[in-house]
Amino acid sequence: MTSAVGAIVHSSPGALWSRRRKRAKRALRYLVIVGVSVVVLFPVYWMVVGTFQPEADTLSYPPSLFFKGFTFDAITSLFKDQPLASWILHSFQVSAVTVIITVTFAVPGAYLLSRLRFRGSGAFGFLLLFTQLMPGAMIVVPELEWFRFLHWTNNLWALGIVYAAFSTPLGCWILKSSFDNVPNDLVDAGFVDGCSQMGTLRRILIPLSRSGLVAVAVVAFFASWNDYLFASAFITVRSKYTAGLGISTFIGNEVVELYQLLAAGLIFSIIPVALYLVAQRHIVRGLTAGALK
Amino acid sequence: MATTSNASPGVLDPPRKAVRPRRQNSFTSASQKGAGGGSRLHLKLLAPILIFEGLFVIYPIVKGILISFQQTSFGTTKWVGLANFSKMVNDPYFWASVRTTFEFTLSMVVVWLTLGLGVALVTNWSFKGRTLVRGLLAIPWAVPDIPTVITFTVMLDPNFGILNRFASVLFGVNHHILWFSQSNLAFISIVAMLGWKGFPFFGLIILSSLTAIPDDLYEAAMADGAGALRRFRSITFPALVPTLSLLALLAFIFSFQQFTLIYLTTGGGPGQATSTIAIYIYNTAFQYFNYNYAAAMGVAGLVLAVFATLIFVLVERRVIRARYLQEGLG
Repeated sequence: MTSAVGAIVHSSPGALWSRRRKRAKRALRYLVIVGVSVVVLFPVYWMVVGTFQPEADTLSYPPSLFFKGFTFDAITSLFKDQPLASWILHSFQVSAVTVIITVTFAVPGAYLLSRLRFRGSGAFGFLLLFTQLMPGAMIVVPELEWFRFLHWTNNLWALGIVYAAFSTPLGCWILKSSFDNVPNDLVDAGFVDGCSQMGTLRRILIPLSRSGLVAVAVVAFFASWNDYLFASAFITVRSKYTAGLGISTFIGNEVVELYQLLAAGLIFSIIPVALYLVAQRHIVRGLTAGALK
Repeated sequence: MATTSNASPGVLDPPRKAVRPRRQNSFTSASQKGAGGGSRLHLKLLAPILIFEGLFVIYPIVKGILISFQQTSFGTTKWVGLANFSKMVNDPYFWASVRTTFEFTLSMVVVWLTLGLGVALVTNWSFKGRTLVRGLLAIPWAVPDIPTVITFTVMLDPNFGILNRFASVLFGVNHHILWFSQSNLAFISIVAMLGWKGFPFFGLIILSSLTAIPDDLYEAAMADGAGALRRFRSITFPALVPTLSLLALLAFIFSFQQFTLIYLTTGGGPGQATSTIAIYIYNTAFQYFNYNYAAAMGVAGLVLAVFATLIFVLVERRVIRARYLQEGLG
């Protein structure tokens, strides 16, 4: 962006001076980028160091910035001492339920918001927004009473349903932006070729909104994988804990060693971080579809 | 819907080829773009969502409103009118939590937008490995709440935490700082932690609006001799205002709802220093087991959130309209 025009504008006082200045500027930029990256990634690095070095090194003061020793003890002992493996499976189960239900409801919801105009469409959109304003901590009490009445507490399927209920409105709005970005001409061409409304949805809007769909799925996955609030209220039996809930009981727990705690945090982070890195392109495009307009 | 299933769903062929002309169409062409024309499609799509959301979101909200007018003690429930609300109005802890909430949400709006804007500007430079850096800088957003709490409590530990080491090496602070035990420090630590966790989301969205600004605007400005600051003030920032105001609203909503990070690090303490409305409600319900009072505060919280959002939307409209007017006159 700056290169071509910058060279023309700045070359007049003296080419050498301008080149030096440019080089200094570039060096400064790299310095800033490296500095920012180091600061931002340091907590992640620290979690990795604490997981893989002997615990005595983490607990010593002053702490060393780099690995002193290397050991897998934290991870092996963690899986031996705690039912972490089954908790992680529970989290997968709950997240799968959440993602499937959210995407299933977000598609028609987004279609309603984006392509259909009907009486009460404004109210529908507002209703979806309204549910997002409701802080979770304020709804957890009546929701818990309702689930106790249904005998759905300590039920992982039910937990997935609750998360889906709170992810669906957001999913509708995210996918709506993707549907909005599909050119009207394409949809009209579908109608001309004899598609029904549902036909254009299935053959034109959905295939052209893959990023939006991925973004909805990832946001729903994050919501259920990360949750502590609802899980802590709805799941009271240790054998049914989700990974997040189980690991949260390690915090401030005398029995769990510090490096086991960090290892648990690291293991719990790996899946969402990997998912993010793999699907990054789609997530960014899906989430920013609305912001670009 | 059933009659269209002759082609496999989700195919990525160009749509025109994938679509076969059909003579019978269950929805008349008058229903296109929602003219209504006797089509019941929207009802069919709407009903499942409304039932689902009604059962698991709307009904609990209504139930919460109802139990805020009741009191349950020793298994019997009776209507008490506004008793819970008058208790709330006279509860200094409630007002303290409202104040904390607004200090907290305001801090988060400022921190998230500033960090997000900064990172977006930096990663919008052209340099080698830009895509990689953009991906890496977004990692905190993907790290879940609980690992964030774990790594920050370890980093900020008064006895062996690395942050005290930094404080001693960089600023010569040689006593052990108790980050989560002093009111102001605990508040700042929470804001910093949440700032770290959430800024990439804001950065990504700001970055995408940055890349949407046409390059020739900058080229023209540079030809006119505008410096970097001037270009930012006259081109970049005005172009970002709509995005930034939407993000400010989102930052408010996210931080208003924040529960896990605060609860698992300080539990609202020390004292009430980090006890936002969300934390106070949770503690009231699950430590003091006063569900009815918790529900009443929940209703108040919802009213506050809706009210703040409305104000926000009004101000935003004002700001944007003023900008368009200016552009129109200029």
